[in-house]
Amino acid sequence: MMNAMNVPSKRSTLERKLDKLILALFGGLFLMCLIGAIASGVFINRKYYYLGLGASVENQFNPSNRFLVATLTMFTLITLYSTIIPISLYVSIEMIKFIQSTQFINKDLHMYHVESNTPALARTSNLNEELGQVEYIFSDKTGTLTRNLMEFFKCSIGGEVYGTGITEIEKGGAERRGIKLEEVHKSSNAVHEKGFNFDDARLMLGAWRNEPDPDACKEFFRCLAICHTVLPEGDESPEKVTYQAASPDEAALVTAAKNFGFFFYRRTPTTIYVRESHVEKMGKVQDVSYEILNVLEFNSTRKRQSVVCRYPDGRLVLYCKGADSVIFERLGDGNGDLKKTTREHLEQFGSAGLRTLCLAYRDLSTDMYEHWNEKFIQAKSSLRDREKKLDEVAELIEKDLVLIGCTAIEDKLQEGVPSCIETLSRAGIKIWVLTGDKMETAINIAYACSLINNDMKQFIISSETDAIREVEDRGDQVEIARFIKDSVTADLKKFLEEAQQYLHTLSGPKLALVIDGKCLMYALDPNLRGMLLNLSLNCTSVVCCRVSPLQKAQVTSLVKKGARKITLSIGDGANDVSMIQAAHVGIGISGLEGMQAVMASDFAIAQFRFLTDLLLVHGRWSYLRICKVVTYFFYKNLTFTLTQFWFTFQTGFSGQRFYDDWFQSLYNVIFTALPVIIVGLFDKDVSESLSKKYPELYKEGIRDSFFKWRVVGIWAFFSFYQSLVFYYFVTSSSSSGQNSSGKMFGLWDVSTMAFTCVVVTVNLRLLMLCNSITRWHYISVAGSILAWFIFIFLYSGVMTPYDRQENVFFVIYVLMSTFYFYLTLLLVPIAALLGDFIFQGVQRWFFPYDYQIIQEIYRHEPDQSSRSELLDIRNDLTPDEARSYAISQLPREKSKHTGFAFDSPGYESFFASQQGVYAPQKAWDVARRASMRSGARTAQKK
Amino acid sequence: MDADGGSASAVGIEGRPVSLHSGQPRALYQFTQQNLPACKPVLTPGWVIATFLLIGAIFIPVGFVSLHASQNVVEIVVRYDAECIPEEYQSNKVAYIRDSSIPKNCTRYLKVHKHMKAPIYVYYQLDNFYQNHRRYVKSRSDQQLLHGLKYNETSSCKPEQLNNGLPIVPCGLIAWSLFNDTFNFVRRSEEMKINRKNIAWKSDRDHKFGKEVYPFNFQNGTLIGGGKLDPRIPLSDQEDLIVWMRTAALPSFRKLYGRIEEDIEADDVIVVHLSNNYNTYSFGGKKKLVLSTSSWLGGKNNFLGIAYIFVGSSCILTSFVFMLLHVKNPR
Repeated sequence: MMNAMNVPSKRSTLERKLDKLILALFGGLFLMCLIGAIASGVFINRKYYYLGLGASVENQFNPSNRFLVATLTMFTLITLYSTIIPISLYVSIEMIKFIQSTQFINKDLHMYHVESNTPALARTSNLNEELGQVEYIFSDKTGTLTRNLMEFFKCSIGGEVYGTGITEIEKGGAERRGIKLEEVHKSSNAVHEKGFNFDDARLMLGAWRNEPDPDACKEFFRCLAICHTVLPEGDESPEKVTYQAASPDEAALVTAAKNFGFFFYRRTPTTIYVRESHVEKMGKVQDVSYEILNVLEFNSTRKRQSVVCRYPDGRLVLYCKGADSVIFERLGDGNGDLKKTTREHLEQFGSAGLRTLCLAYRDLSTDMYEHWNEKFIQAKSSLRDREKKLDEVAELIEKDLVLIGCTAIEDKLQEGVPSCIETLSRAGIKIWVLTGDKMETAINIAYACSLINNDMKQFIISSETDAIREVEDRGDQVEIARFIKDSVTADLKKFLEEAQQYLHTLSGPKLALVIDGKCLMYALDPNLRGMLLNLSLNCTSVVCCRVSPLQKAQVTSLVKKGARKITLSIGDGANDVSMIQAAHVGIGISGLEGMQAVMASDFAIAQFRFLTDLLLVHGRWSYLRICKVVTYFFYKNLTFTLTQFWFTFQTGFSGQRFYDDWFQSLYNVIFTALPVIIVGLFDKDVSESLSKKYPELYKEGIRDSFFKWRVVGIWAFFSFYQSLVFYYFVTSSSSSGQNSSGKMFGLWDVSTMAFTCVVVTVNLRLLMLCNSITRWHYISVAGSILAWFIFIFLYSGVMTPYDRQENVFFVIYVLMSTFYFYLTLLLVPIAALLGDFIFQGVQRWFFPYDYQIIQEIYRHEPDQSSRSELLDIRNDLTPDEARSYAISQLPREKSKHTGFAFDSPGYESFFASQQGVYAPQKAWDVARRASMRSGARTAQKK
Repeated sequence: MDADGGSASAVGIEGRPVSLHSGQPRALYQFTQQNLPACKPVLTPGWVIATFLLIGAIFIPVGFVSLHASQNVVEIVVRYDAECIPEEYQSNKVAYIRDSSIPKNCTRYLKVHKHMKAPIYVYYQLDNFYQNHRRYVKSRSDQQLLHGLKYNETSSCKPEQLNNGLPIVPCGLIAWSLFNDTFNFVRRSEEMKINRKNIAWKSDRDHKFGKEVYPFNFQNGTLIGGGKLDPRIPLSDQEDLIVWMRTAALPSFRKLYGRIEEDIEADDVIVVHLSNNYNTYSFGGKKKLVLSTSSWLGGKNNFLGIAYIFVGSSCILTSFVFMLLHVKNPR
């Protein structure tokens, strides 16, 4: 997308903390060098005549300029101690993360969606461990929590409710109240196709002719069939046609008309063809063409859409459908009963979580229409403020409407959403719903997802109060702004006080905050921002409704920057892009709404419920592994460098290296490189099923338990201890003659001995930190130690024409000819690891981490057997079949709650266009959209 | 360490017959689904205690054996640097040692308290001598030591590099500062033979010092640092030099001087006639003479034995503490 905002480059919080650690190491390096440098300046003296410090001595050792000596030694020491900086750490981490994301996340069968053939996709490998520390999830609603599959569910025509279905929300509500609803058996002629899930014999197959108000029914169906911007595609028969619509609601409505016998099958730029059944008399089918004179498009300020059409017999009608509030304002006088009952029905549908639309029509006289049309054409051809003028003109004709009825569309929750949310909240993650929907439906969805329940104390900050409406009617923008701001301030203050009171009481209710977009605009003002943040952080769940994409992003960064918590945004549409980019981790649902969200996201999953696996399994493991890798790297480099540092003290601070150059350079590259990568890939504390069974384990990541400064400090302490053991044990034990030959060791013998001990110990220490040890661990650890021995055997055994390695010529063979070597090799690693071992034992015994408790509970239960077994069953399956078989064996979740909401068609594209996030699409520009879609689909097929 | 402390799941999976065409997809499947067979060590108190007991059980005997070996070694250390300066030079030792006209002979008496069994190793020990100083360590040319004048690149030897335009053989500060005190031992007015052969490691003698390289211009310069070498003997046979040039790790070090190949009885008094040539006075270094027998492990060094016993007994102690806690407060 060319018009997207700058794509932020995201780095994980852990990595940023790692930078601090590296900085601290640089500080340590500097300190060590400074100590050495100053001491070298003090040490150097002509009295050490054997150092040849005559008049011609180079500056580095010239005792007559001690300052220069110190300065130059500083540089020498920096190169000498540079091993303290784990340069290969970043490379190793990148490698680990890359494999984690491409091999583990992308190929996890638990996150593979069979129906849409979509695996999870990690679009960046930067943020794997960030997934293990998420504390706030910001979720879009439509397409994320819900399926964005709209089904025509109920309707009300002429004051009569049709449709016998019961929504999940109604069932849930009834169960909560203890009423058992009887299961309504579907009648034989119940139709269920995409977009239509309606069961009422009174309207089907022409039966509507016998209803109290058949004319109203007729207008209702015609309105559905004519007033839309849908494009039919495919064959012109009811079974084969498919509708391409700007929003799934529209398609559902047209599909409904089709099922009621008003089959819209062809559209030309000026006409709509409808095949009408049972109009004249039962069973008669006729093709009728309606001339479309004007289309007054949908947008979110108008919240309605109208079509002016001319019947074949010359009748001019304006059909209008829209939100209840705007339609009711524009109804003509009279017919009060119908209005009242319809409003009741609307409320009834709304509380059932259905998305509602009101339908109305108006007969127009030719004169009046012509008169109006001139204005319309004028407005349409105006160059400035065209949108605004069109709105004004539309206002002129959309009045004195006659109410027909209302529709109710069901928007189903995605599979497993409620249980996923329940699991996530047990994991200590707080979920905020940010949606463009109106408040009632947003609250409904929140109920359906068990984000809000009746035991919670709800704080509602809404702009839809009488006081605000009254001010708005007066129309003074400045006054409105001031008034809303004041009321928002007052609300926030009041609620914050209340919230703090509840917090002080021990068993106070949980809190929930509901705020709408207009109020949010003021609450996000820098003065009120702190208060809003304070209040919302005290709430268990927060619902923001009627928010624009920009506000979604603002709320996300409010928590991200204001509270310094790790945030995750999940959404599926273009309107979620800014929120996805603003959060630490952005997740795109690869679903129906196109690819914008996925393109902007860091991870893409097919279903909301896969978030459980992504966070609780992959995220947690990644976090655990990266923490181990980082701390271990820190440890091994620090230990190694400190031995060098202790040696400096005994060389007159000259910067003599303890280890041969090659030992030093290969230490990080070969002798200790591979095992830590293996740990970064394979370490598991508890199995994947237990991770999901005990979501509480996730809290360790939120608290950052494994990469606290305290943890780093403990590692540093043990590095310190170990380096002392390495240096002093090896040197003190080598100070006398060796074997029975009485010969003495030199510098390189001692250093090779010390290096051997370091390599062995550091590799064994790695095994001690593993939670699960695969054969790869053994291979890599043994391989690393073996690599060292092979290297030193070759390196010290072969004399080349180059000068350097003669230092260590034959050293290892000399060493290995002594008993000293073997005794020291047994003693030093064990003495060095003893401290760590005691610490680990005590820690596990007296201050266990949560995961360690789980480990011990399930110590004797072999896990993961079921999955391995199922694989053994398949004997002669192709890999593909095996894969789908394996997939089919995965446990499926049954959805428990379902929730619904109303979302204005085109609403999202409206905000998106305001935000400049993606190219605005005219709602009626269906042809273009259709061609884009089919193009996308063919591209997918390839 | 405590690797197999957990479940047998690895075995369970490995043991089941695998009925796939090849192992490859299965291994890959286990890899991508993160289901590799693994054992899960759980560091329970039982395992901690057992590990500690095991370490203790191994370490304490090893420690006693090592300590015993070290204790059996008889070692006599005599410091002679201060005593070998005549009264009149006590206030200006450096002047004494630098004045080559003064004879440097000195006599010390060693009383042997315990029977010393041959071979008895004679070491000299220097303290506060930084053989591991960076400038010192690199001031040598290994190629020249091996090839002599055939190898001309001796820049690493600065400042003891050239003499009259010819490279010094052997060049460098290390060789230049060769230790040159000598020791003669007399017991009951009978000189004891010191074997000064085979005191360097064989690899050094055979591969690092040339058989054809003669120190023809060694210590001919204006400033003489230490010992001189017999220009008729090739470097590979100059074992003093070879020993000296295996630079020590610490500023306090011993080097092998020779072997006395006869037993010394207890209460024998040994007269050491030494020539106190080497200058450690300018930097306040000590010089010591060490006579030591050896065991299978080496010279007298209690460190290994004590460390083993200490680690072993602290393991046992810890395991007892843990056991007590475990009994009192079982999980």
